[in-house]
Amino acid sequence: MNRQQAQDLIESILEIPREGELQVLLNGVHRLGTRFNDCAISQNVLRQQTTLTLSARLEQKKTSLSINTLDDQALIKRSIEQAFAFCRHMPDDEEVMPAPGEVLESHEYAYSTESEAIEIETVGAWAAEACRAGAAADIDLAGLLAHGKTFSAYGDSAGGFAYEGSHRSDYHVTATGNNGSGWAEHQGVTIGQDNVMTATRSAIEKCARAQHPEVFEPRPVTVILEPQAVGDLMAMAFWYGFDQRARDEGRSAFSDYDATLGHQSFYSDPADPVFPTVSFSSGGQALVRTVWLESGKLQQLLTSRYWASKNNLAVKPAPNNLVLTGDGTPLEELVRSTDDGILVTRFWYIRPTDARTLGFTGMTRDGTYRIENGEVTHPVVDMRWNESVLKVLDHVVASGKPVATGEFMAMAMPALKIEDFHFTSLSN
Amino acid sequence: MFDLLKFACNIADKAGCQFADARYLEIRKQRVVSRDLALSSCSDRDDRGFGVRVLYRGAWGFASSPTYSADEIEKVVALAIRIARASALALREDGVNWAPEPALSLDFKSSCKYNPFTVTLEDKADLLISANEIMLKNKTVKRAQGFLSFKQVKRWYANTEGAELYSDVTSSESAIWAIAVGNEDFQERNWKAPATNQGFECYQKEEFVKQAERVAAEAEEKLSARLSPEGEFDIITDSENLSLTIHESVGHATELDRVMGYEVSMAGSSFVTRDKQREFQYGSDQVTLMADNTLENGLATQGFDDDGVPGQRWEIVRDGIFQTYSSGREFAHYIGEERSRGSCRADHWSSIPIVRIPNLFLMPGKTPLSPEELMADVGHGIYFEGMDSFSIDQWRLNFQFGGNAVWEIKNGRKAGMLKAALYQSRTPTFWNACDATCDENYWQSHGITNCGKGDPMQVAQMTHGAAPTRFRNIRICRGRDS
Repeated sequence: MNRQQAQDLIESILEIPREGELQVLLNGVHRLGTRFNDCAISQNVLRQQTTLTLSARLEQKKTSLSINTLDDQALIKRSIEQAFAFCRHMPDDEEVMPAPGEVLESHEYAYSTESEAIEIETVGAWAAEACRAGAAADIDLAGLLAHGKTFSAYGDSAGGFAYEGSHRSDYHVTATGNNGSGWAEHQGVTIGQDNVMTATRSAIEKCARAQHPEVFEPRPVTVILEPQAVGDLMAMAFWYGFDQRARDEGRSAFSDYDATLGHQSFYSDPADPVFPTVSFSSGGQALVRTVWLESGKLQQLLTSRYWASKNNLAVKPAPNNLVLTGDGTPLEELVRSTDDGILVTRFWYIRPTDARTLGFTGMTRDGTYRIENGEVTHPVVDMRWNESVLKVLDHVVASGKPVATGEFMAMAMPALKIEDFHFTSLSN
Repeated sequence: MFDLLKFACNIADKAGCQFADARYLEIRKQRVVSRDLALSSCSDRDDRGFGVRVLYRGAWGFASSPTYSADEIEKVVALAIRIARASALALREDGVNWAPEPALSLDFKSSCKYNPFTVTLEDKADLLISANEIMLKNKTVKRAQGFLSFKQVKRWYANTEGAELYSDVTSSESAIWAIAVGNEDFQERNWKAPATNQGFECYQKEEFVKQAERVAAEAEEKLSARLSPEGEFDIITDSENLSLTIHESVGHATELDRVMGYEVSMAGSSFVTRDKQREFQYGSDQVTLMADNTLENGLATQGFDDDGVPGQRWEIVRDGIFQTYSSGREFAHYIGEERSRGSCRADHWSSIPIVRIPNLFLMPGKTPLSPEELMADVGHGIYFEGMDSFSIDQWRLNFQFGGNAVWEIKNGRKAGMLKAALYQSRTPTFWNACDATCDENYWQSHGITNCGKGDPMQVAQMTHGAAPTRFRNIRICRGRDS
């Protein structure tokens, strides 16, 4: 649905008589997903759907209702009536806020004309080429090549409107040999065959270097995390820990915490050149560059409109991307400057272990290597770790250049060199 | 409803597809969330559409649409075949070996005495806010929350083999939790009401109020709990805690698609390789793990799976020895089985079916044994209750789990609460350390509604169960530095 079509539909919905305030959100997706394993395509799907969400407000009462049948005006009218019927039965909630009513500029930072041309057959051909590269190397190759476009449109009865189209590509690939595996990815708003093959070759090369891993007895040690591992950890830390209200109410790792967290800066910016995103929230609020940590010093936390108004704070809505700055040190140099350490390609299954200290656990996978005297000497058996993100950030001693990563959220993350990282047990 | 699905299958058949199936789903969801003395949200969702899967010249294609009309069916079938042609650019050498299945006509409806979608919002608010009121009476509780979540899925399935299957499944889920603040700390305690294929009848206000009092008191108690010791201890898990361990270390480990490498790039593979079938000592002789997609009110009990195979019951582990896997029709041949176990499910009309964990549970002990008797035989140990932190590697070997409430055991009795306790083990080590599980009088089931797998991610639901169970000499570590 283009901007005009979305605007026409939203306007027609807002013209339907109703008893209170209405917010309308349209989310459309058209996404191909080609999955392969053992160098053959195993799944190939196209998902296309548009969801209409109607949020009804009567003073301090609010409900929402979603449908995915958009060509039936009578159904939409009934759905609006139903949303308000639910709303009447809601108890009052002082935290309900009126619609923002803002008309937002359409930036379309994440829209790619180049991506429009990618067809089903194109994606299949690229996946097949990757499979052939795996077969030629006598390695099992498994991965997902997904590509699609989305649009988001928002309108409200207070006059607000926003629309943006965007693209998103996700290629990640695991190469598995007889006794070890390697992994690589390409994330971004667009993708080409060169991106697919570069990641494929990287996974195959990592796999070759991962064969016959040796046991490294788990202990605290210097670790170099590649961008995927950094992104997985920072995303978990952000969503579990960066909330202003929780901090103010004593329910956060940042409650009564004033120390500087290392020297990195951590921010969100829909216009980020490495991994741009849609520039407004599902609630019709503009998303702008927001700095969470400036040189390690806490600057902002997520702040809802209600909490901001009650405490005279700036509103900080949930972002669509996360960026961690780096000092640009090449990975090779990070390794060269490490006498005793571990190089990690990828983290897996990170979960919180202690909210008070922002503690997490997780595993390494698909390419974990020993660093001795400035060189990668051999692969090591995967390990579990238990660590506090507060400590991790404080122990960063060098970093790379941010690159696009994140299957579930757009992120630009550098490799990090971290001292005294706690590995606790062995995996396979 | 079946006419258009059969129309889709006919078009696919005429186009030369070896196999095709079509599913139309009507999904209704409602979620009501409470925050302190208010409802913070009430969201309702109506979602309908169909998906067509084709096997064309040895390659899979799948396409879907929310518009259920003859014209759209024709377009979507053509699109699915076009996608299958793209899949054929990298064909599997040994092709797709599709297990046979009789063409059934079957109707399945889950038990639902009180349709949750007709229960008034006032009644739902009363249940949640009454619990929150109780929790907030405890002055250390600074946040009380809860939710009620309901789903009804009507599903019509047809395939080119002539199957015509229909199911109507209603499921319900709820939880309440309190966050206590004090002693320079904050701690959360929760209670999960049954997540089950039933209606609103499984929720009673009296139970919510009773549990709210306990939850608030234990949230407060957690604030002053001492940090867990580290080292090797005997542990006891309650049924809810062990349900998650069963899910992660047995359920996922014995999905045949993982074993065959289909999930390598995301969810991972499995240490339970095919050579282990009927030989591998998965656990001690106390351990029998039963899969049962006919379990009454089980979340994976849906009549039939999305390959068109009826629900079944089978042993995954018998008396400690690994028996067989969960499978779908594409995978049964890999282990020489002629029929799928009927455990292939999709989470949406726009998703393709993948092998999913069935309802899976640890059978209760055969001799009478109460939780008190189980604990009496522990000198110094740790008791884990409820679900908390959970993480496991991509082979389903190294895992680490916490508990929502954890107590130290001394001389056979609970001896004070612990903070940040985690048990960490490897799957066969852990299950072989099981030396007793309580009898059937103490067996309980627990629903899992957020099982993520697949790529792109799909979310499935299933039920697990166990009685309180004891494991000897398990490594305990802490999630917080001392």
